[in-house]
Amino acid sequence: MKMQHLKQIFTFRFSIKHGALLLGFSMLFFNACVDDNNIDEVFEATPYQIEIPFGFPTKLNIPENNPMTVEGVELGRYLFYDGRLSGRNHPDSLMSCATCHRQERAFEAGVDHPDFPGGFPHGLTGLPTHHVMLPMINLVWNHSGYGWNGFLYPNNPEENLRNIEDFVRLTVMAKDEIDGDTLQTREMIQSIPGYPELFKKAFGSDKVTFVNIGKAIAQFVRTLISANSKFDKYMRGEVQLSQSELNGYVLFTTEEGADCFHCHGGFGNPLFTTHLFYNNGKDTEFTDPMDRFQISKDPMDHGAYKATTLRNIEVQGPYMHDGRFATLEEVIDFYSHDLKDSPYINPLMHHINDGGILLTPTEKEDLLNFIKTLRDDDFMTNPDFGKPGKFPDEK
Amino acid sequence: MAKNKQMKKLKSITILLIAGFLLASSCNKDNPQPVDNTARLTLSFYHLVDSLPIDFDTMKYVNAAGNPYLVSEIQYFISDVTLHNTDGTYHLLDAWEDIHYVDTDLYETFKYVLKDSILPGTYDSLIFTFGISEEKNQSLMFVNPPESNMFWPEYLGGGYHYLKLNGKWKDTEDIIHPYNFHMGIGQIYDPESDEITGFVQNYFKVKFHYNLEIEPGDTIFIPIDVHVDQWFENPHVFDFNVWGGDIMQKQDAMQVAKENGHNVFQKSMIIGD
Repeated sequence: MKMQHLKQIFTFRFSIKHGALLLGFSMLFFNACVDDNNIDEVFEATPYQIEIPFGFPTKLNIPENNPMTVEGVELGRYLFYDGRLSGRNHPDSLMSCATCHRQERAFEAGVDHPDFPGGFPHGLTGLPTHHVMLPMINLVWNHSGYGWNGFLYPNNPEENLRNIEDFVRLTVMAKDEIDGDTLQTREMIQSIPGYPELFKKAFGSDKVTFVNIGKAIAQFVRTLISANSKFDKYMRGEVQLSQSELNGYVLFTTEEGADCFHCHGGFGNPLFTTHLFYNNGKDTEFTDPMDRFQISKDPMDHGAYKATTLRNIEVQGPYMHDGRFATLEEVIDFYSHDLKDSPYINPLMHHINDGGILLTPTEKEDLLNFIKTLRDDDFMTNPDFGKPGKFPDEK
Repeated sequence: MAKNKQMKKLKSITILLIAGFLLASSCNKDNPQPVDNTARLTLSFYHLVDSLPIDFDTMKYVNAAGNPYLVSEIQYFISDVTLHNTDGTYHLLDAWEDIHYVDTDLYETFKYVLKDSILPGTYDSLIFTFGISEEKNQSLMFVNPPESNMFWPEYLGGGYHYLKLNGKWKDTEDIIHPYNFHMGIGQIYDPESDEITGFVQNYFKVKFHYNLEIEPGDTIFIPIDVHVDQWFENPHVFDFNVWGGDIMQKQDAMQVAKENGHNVFQKSMIIGD
């Protein structure tokens, strides 16, 4: 009899009541084994998935506290292009990220910028920036520090100097850029009809915070992916390079040629940068208070700066951290015969005692033609990266 | 009716008991685990010049050819770690996951913790590949840095550098030159056209003889001294004045490096717990 009872007990059908009871215990079980973060409200935005292009790294630099969402990216795109990010609305006082970062110039100013002759930006006050700009291309794969000297890096002991989110704050506050303050910007954005709703969708609250402004813009910037240049298509076997481009490719990737690849990548590193810092032989004296040495404190980093990505480099002049070269031809001439030796020259500049890589005119042309295969027009015309048709208050 | 009520009560109690058991067992860290009768292995790399830890970026060393030199950074791959048993059998550890990157700028890479467990027994040697074997050295197998920064150009044979040893040396006129002592797949060039007609695999095996008695539960640490000066010394004296500072496209120089490389890695005292 007892056995029959037990059998009955273990074979009964679950009633709703029993189900609820078990569910309750399951919750207990779950809660017992995880940290209690006291999340008052469960907020869910739509995850934004970054597709990894062929040959690209799989490790992304996305902070844990700012996961990518469709709503966050959309908001970030508005803010990136909205001049009221300056916290002001007078036509002379508008400034956004896009004021300097132009899509058609791979999100650099470009030498033909209408307000910054030669591509040398200045802030709202007229103060020039310390360095020229770096492009916004494939930054979601940068783990080695943002800026020419990499002053924003993931494990920085100074927690507010780690990533693109912090760059947004610094840009708004910098005297040589927006020269604003975060409170003023926050209040301005809060006051613009349509934005609070977008913040609600992206972050679960219609209260605008500057932290969320930074997060949204950073999310948008992380979507700016260039992976469809002629060289990408060549990598994927879709097109062939011309003979001159192929000759340039061989020069680019050989030690006895131009030896660009050790710092600027290639087939095995399609970011076309290592994101590391090198003294590449521009000078013999180093007085810049914002070179890599100021961050690393390694004496060998005097005069060292980030190797920029060569993707879309054709449209990104002026070149080098101080914009000393206006054209790619000048850059190639420099690497060919104008290198300057110093105790801090990076060992990878192994042609230094010849003054450079000593290219013939034909080789220079071939190298230039190869570098131009890194131009990605899809990136520079992609409507998802462009200025929105209307801002939230214009809808 | 009463019986039915009693039955329902019993059902509820049983559910509570099951759930309680689940709850208790799910967080219980003291459950008896199956006894692990295997052992673990870790290799540690110590980078030396003249048998002392390297003083980087200091022109204080002189190689066997009499070239003063400094060392800036070293990056390389170790793969195919294999333990050989006294009975003639061998155990390849970590199989396809066994390519380890070492970078003197990244302290965490100095230790190579093998994932595979080791069967207890007596082993008489440990063998590893310096670099990456032809079979495994495939382009784009590392897409993330820092390993991806080691790619070896397709035109020169593809895959990855086995070694990047960068620094500077001083010639007979006291002029300082950079050197990039880089190893990977070598090329054979047609002397007439200078076209590449073939490739040479330059990876090599390093063998250490041990008498390793591995007991169940052991964790074995094998320290390996990496004598950088030996790249330039034994059995061939490598003279920068002869070879220059860059060797990626000089198979003869890489052959010298390959033969010297056997003496770069030397065993140190094993530590077990």
